[in-house]
Amino acid sequence: MGFRQFMAILRKDLIRELRTREMLVSMFLFVMLALVIFHYAFGVDEDTDLTYFTGGMLWVTFIFSALLGLNRSFAQEKDEQCLDGLLLCPVDRVTIFFAKMTGNLVFLLIIQAVSVPVFTLFFIERSYLADIGLFLLVLLLADLGICTIGTLLATISMNTRARDLLLPIVFLPLIVPVLIAAVSATTGIFADGADLGDLAARLGFLAAFDAVFMVAAYGTYDFAIGE
Amino acid sequence: MKKLTSAPALFAAAGAFLAAGLLLAFLYAPVDASSMGFSQKIFYYHAPIAETALVAFGIAFVAAILYLRDPDPKWDRLSYVSVRLGLLFSVMVMVTGMIWGKAAWDAWWAWEPRLTTFLIVCFLYTAYFVLRQVVEEESRRATYAAVFAIVAFIDVPITFFATRYMPEGLHPVVIRAGDSGMEGSMFLSFMISMAGMTLLLAALVRADVAAARLKDEIDDLKTRIGG
Amino acid sequence: MSIEEGAKFVAAAYAVILAVVIAYYAMSARRVSALARDVELLKAEVEKREAVGSGD
Repeated sequence: MGFRQFMAILRKDLIRELRTREMLVSMFLFVMLALVIFHYAFGVDEDTDLTYFTGGMLWVTFIFSALLGLNRSFAQEKDEQCLDGLLLCPVDRVTIFFAKMTGNLVFLLIIQAVSVPVFTLFFIERSYLADIGLFLLVLLLADLGICTIGTLLATISMNTRARDLLLPIVFLPLIVPVLIAAVSATTGIFADGADLGDLAARLGFLAAFDAVFMVAAYGTYDFAIGE
Repeated sequence: MKKLTSAPALFAAAGAFLAAGLLLAFLYAPVDASSMGFSQKIFYYHAPIAETALVAFGIAFVAAILYLRDPDPKWDRLSYVSVRLGLLFSVMVMVTGMIWGKAAWDAWWAWEPRLTTFLIVCFLYTAYFVLRQVVEEESRRATYAAVFAIVAFIDVPITFFATRYMPEGLHPVVIRAGDSGMEGSMFLSFMISMAGMTLLLAALVRADVAAARLKDEIDDLKTRIGG
Repeated sequence: MSIEEGAKFVAAAYAVILAVVIAYYAMSARRVSALARDVELLKAEVEKREAVGSGD
């Protein structure tokens, strides 16, 4: 029964966004514009080697894009009072969390699916197709961390006076470890090719981060979503 | 027992231990043999302050959990006071750490694990206060703050781990912040200062919680009388 | 680094700690005196109301 509810909520969120695509388009445009700005910010000179900056550029963009998406999806909920309606149904709070989290994850993945090829075109010279599987794994695990923390915090911040102003303030310090791990793993793959030892450590770290915070969210979401 | 753990008694004990620690540090423990030399003496307060800050955040973490299980304002007060004191101690860690850095490596800042982690910790717990600021309703504020205090504390060791083992660049410059083994006399001075700092924290928590309760009671009376 | 130079930094660090503790103590003292003032005001209010009540 929990799974059916999960799917129902997830499907509602996905269909709603896919119909208008407003949020997805904004997130995508943001990523594109950020990449252009990075080019000019870091190396107007054609010779500048940005290889060791690539991981950082990519993840900074994704994190801010995720913030955009989180703010948007929860603001909509709040404005249209969907959440209140949802809370009236006999749904387990935690199911709501996982449904929302998965929805945000799907949106982030869609954006990344389109952005990464463009990013590769702009900034990557070496082919990393050999390591593509590992790269996708890093992407997924980091995204999970971003969406878990993001969904939990967005639920709280949307119910405050500051709404979308609060989210970056509470979210960014918490997500720094994910950023560190994802950036060093990604730069490693782009620059020198995957070093399995280093990569395994970072992947393990990301997985542990995800697990720990999913448990934390599971324990506290009841309180976050409140009355 | 009550008398022994009252605020004045704790302050007195703290003062005694801290003074003793200071005397031992300068008169008993030898000057550090490594390149840090005399500046290593900062360590006798710097490290205890760091541990005490973490203890404070730990108290806030436990109090937050207790509040979620049983919404008694006293737990919220304890959590709030502990975070505030933890933040105070964290700022002190950063300042003394920077002074030590200048003395030991001739650089006011280095992106080394301890300084970086405490920097992020400062941002994290400042966000705690921003969060409290933007929620008007009291019980909601306490609940959200509790959720954040829990998540934030979990993130602290994770952040330290990330900054220590996964530096951002691929060719990191790791500055080992002088964890030279301590000989007996150094160890004793250090431990006494530790005890003193912890007692100081206990004293401050006591005093601040009492003041907070008084303030709450006064606010209560004001609203009842004011009508 | 000679002992004199090192001593400057050590002194600075401990001075900062002392300054922060004193500053925090001063802030707390100010907070407590504000609370005490409020208590006085409330006490006066209560006495006023009791006087009115018993005056009837």
